[in-house]
Amino acid sequence: MPIIEAHGLTKIYRVTQKKEGFLRAVRSLFRREYKEVRAVDNVSFAIEPGEMVAFLGPNGAGKTTTLKMLSGLIYPTQGSAQVLGFTPWDRADEFRRRFSLVMGQKNQLWWDLPAADSFQLHREIYSLSRAQFTRTLGELTELFGVSKLTDQPVRELSLGERMKMELIAALLHQPQLLLLDEPTIGLDVVAQATIQRCLKDYNVRYGVTMLLTSHYMRDVEALCARVLVISHGRVIYDGPLARISEQFGKSKLVKLHFENDGVPTDLESFGEVTHSEGPVVDLKVERTRVPEVLGAILERYTVVDMSVQDPPLDQVIARVFEEARVQHEASSQSS
Amino acid sequence: MKPVASPHDVDDAVEERGRETEEDVRSIKEARIVRIARKYGNILRVSLIERLTYRGDFFLSTILRFLPMVTTILLWQAIYAGAGEKPIAGFSLHEMIAYLLLVHISRMFSSMPGLAAGIARDIRDGQLKRYLLQPIDMLGYLASYRGAHKIAYIATSSLPYALLFFLCREYFDRLPDLLTLAAYLCSLFLAFAVGFFFEASIGMIGFWFLEVTSLLYVVNTLNFFVSGQLFPLDLLPPFWAAVLKAMPFQYMAYFPAAVFLGKIQGADLVRGLLAEFVWGVVFIALARWLYRLGLKRYSAFGG
Amino acid sequence: MQVLTRYLRLYFALGRYGLARELSFRVNFLVKLFVEVLWLGILLAFYKTVFGKTTNVGGWTEPEYLFFVGCYFALAGLIEALFLANCSEFAELVRTGDLDFYLLKPIDEQFLVTCRDIDWSSMANVFMGAAVMGIALYKLDWPFDPARALVFLLMFACGSAIAYSMLLLLTSASVWFKRNQSLYELWWLFTSLMRYPREIFSGKWASPMGWFFSFVVPILLVVNVPARLMVKFLDDPALVVFTAAVALVLLFVSRKFFRYALRSYRSASS
Repeated sequence: MPIIEAHGLTKIYRVTQKKEGFLRAVRSLFRREYKEVRAVDNVSFAIEPGEMVAFLGPNGAGKTTTLKMLSGLIYPTQGSAQVLGFTPWDRADEFRRRFSLVMGQKNQLWWDLPAADSFQLHREIYSLSRAQFTRTLGELTELFGVSKLTDQPVRELSLGERMKMELIAALLHQPQLLLLDEPTIGLDVVAQATIQRCLKDYNVRYGVTMLLTSHYMRDVEALCARVLVISHGRVIYDGPLARISEQFGKSKLVKLHFENDGVPTDLESFGEVTHSEGPVVDLKVERTRVPEVLGAILERYTVVDMSVQDPPLDQVIARVFEEARVQHEASSQSS
Repeated sequence: MKPVASPHDVDDAVEERGRETEEDVRSIKEARIVRIARKYGNILRVSLIERLTYRGDFFLSTILRFLPMVTTILLWQAIYAGAGEKPIAGFSLHEMIAYLLLVHISRMFSSMPGLAAGIARDIRDGQLKRYLLQPIDMLGYLASYRGAHKIAYIATSSLPYALLFFLCREYFDRLPDLLTLAAYLCSLFLAFAVGFFFEASIGMIGFWFLEVTSLLYVVNTLNFFVSGQLFPLDLLPPFWAAVLKAMPFQYMAYFPAAVFLGKIQGADLVRGLLAEFVWGVVFIALARWLYRLGLKRYSAFGG
Repeated sequence: MQVLTRYLRLYFALGRYGLARELSFRVNFLVKLFVEVLWLGILLAFYKTVFGKTTNVGGWTEPEYLFFVGCYFALAGLIEALFLANCSEFAELVRTGDLDFYLLKPIDEQFLVTCRDIDWSSMANVFMGAAVMGIALYKLDWPFDPARALVFLLMFACGSAIAYSMLLLLTSASVWFKRNQSLYELWWLFTSLMRYPREIFSGKWASPMGWFFSFVVPILLVVNVPARLMVKFLDDPALVVFTAAVALVLLFVSRKFFRYALRSYRSASS
């Protein structure tokens, strides 16, 4: 029984065109011009309890808008969704008790107060019993490693520590679903890794379903087995992370280690040399040509070691987005 | 030029343009007057666009601005009714209401919203550095920036105010003669100087104290009363009236209005204008002196 | 009942932490307090100056008018202490999208938007206003009448409810009017209407205006009805009933409008 079901979710915005120049500004006093923007376009998917799923997409792809529709913050223009058995945009009290939304770089906690005070307020807001609250808080601060920091004013904490406090606040009422919008944005690499680990641990321990949006591949790789790739409001891929390369990767990375003085000079005919250091050469080869290229090279030259890999995932994704963007622009120009 | 999207963008756009113009000066020799005209032209244009972009707000705020005026007129009518319709402190009912309307005009020239706070903020944020690094005089720059803004503000407010004054024309029993009018305009321009350099001086306190906004809050609240915005200073007991008239704050509201109504004549008028001029000079000197002192302190502490 | 306790507990917690926060900025708090005292001083100076030159204003004698001033100060102070700062942040919440956080909590949004913080420095105004009212009653040789005092308090509450509802209506409008003028300025303009007795609205063109602002947009009733009730006896019981009715209606209407504004925000946000 899926915990989230979305059918044909669509969100269309009418955006006023602001005009440059004085005369146009005067004219806009009397008549406004609009443009339609499809932020989310017919998105459908289902998520089972306990899954950790990522929405991956470039900026403005519609990830955050989709997330907000699932939280009930935005009405869709078309389509339907069921989250935890509720229609999100009815915003039933019971619904709001059962999930949390955390947004990266946005602070929910009271700025000047210690985190502990904000947690107390959270307790009142969600009407948690003292026993339950104390126990949950203890577990969370231990898990996130911030037990000593809760009495410091939030503004004195580092970005990473602040994010941890935000997450704790989001988990205090033990939601069944955790929605995260760019949770590691703006954090340094170490902080990112820590947050990823904490989320993973929490998911393993409590089986909370997590849905996160990101444009960082590292978040996705560290946390989620399943990825929904979104571009221009549409889902262009829904499946395991591992198979993205298969589906989208047009090329493979062939690493070749030649004999010390046997580095060939005509490798360009086989593919693109992306890296060359001494006897080691990285060659980007079109996927379909790999067997043929390998055969040719092995025949002609002496190779000490070799491997065939997928190119880095973010390169694949970046290319996918680029292609999608070009396609989108072409179709919107013709319309 | 990017399209204007918010009042904050306006400030940025103007700052950019101001800086561009400065660079133009250094690279191309140009007549100073053309430079100034272009800069003011840009600021004016951007300000007007800003005002037109917020059309809903524009209409609403114009209407709502005149509500207090209505209640004030009615209040004073009731006060005069209770006093047997006799003049109060030498002001007839009409003159009283004309005074309160004229105080608005004085305030158009002398009020400097955000000036002191802006200076204090620049000091606190370290934005002050740009004045140290570039050959721009901060006070001069701010003064001309304010001046241009005021012109834009007066231009866009002139229509609603003209309407208001037209509706209230019955309260203006007689208009001043040309000489008085000249003196009035003089007092208004001096009111700009007094208002600007007074607030700038307060802003300079930001070099020594962090909480300038708190001080500002107190000063502005007091100023509301002592500058004569609530009623003409002549209504106060003679001792207090004399005290307040000796202070510079009256020039920000009371004095120009009283001049227009002919309450200050002849030698008194000349004396008053002279005193206003002197106060203007005093505040310019004060602002400059505090600025220099503050800069020394600022660079000593590394900013 | 359980809901009420829940909200009271939450309000108490919010108030407690709010006070802690405000006191941590001690200088700021004291300055704000000082300015409120100054403001009362200015109001009283105006009052004294005016009554030095006249005997009554719109039928209100000197001590009666003093009571009016105290009532105004206390009521405006109450609204400013409990609601104004919260409401003025609403426009910014809408602009940045941070309003979303309040929509996600299992708490009534109107409560969070309008009540979450208490401005303690303005709370002092309520006490100062009460003191002024007390002095005025003393000057009037007011015979202690518990029934009248009770109805006064009731009308004071109704006036506050009307002012709150109008504030909420203005606040909700920020969803559409992407602010250029802050809510504080709008509120200042609004209170300028309730600062004086409505009896000054007499005369050819003023009477209809007075009628409009008493019975259509009942700002003039807010301070007038409770104050008049106290000092001039119950000379217009119909008005008292009307005020109570209007308070209830406005509370209902403003809440509906607020929820409508939220729906609009949610349709437009991205």
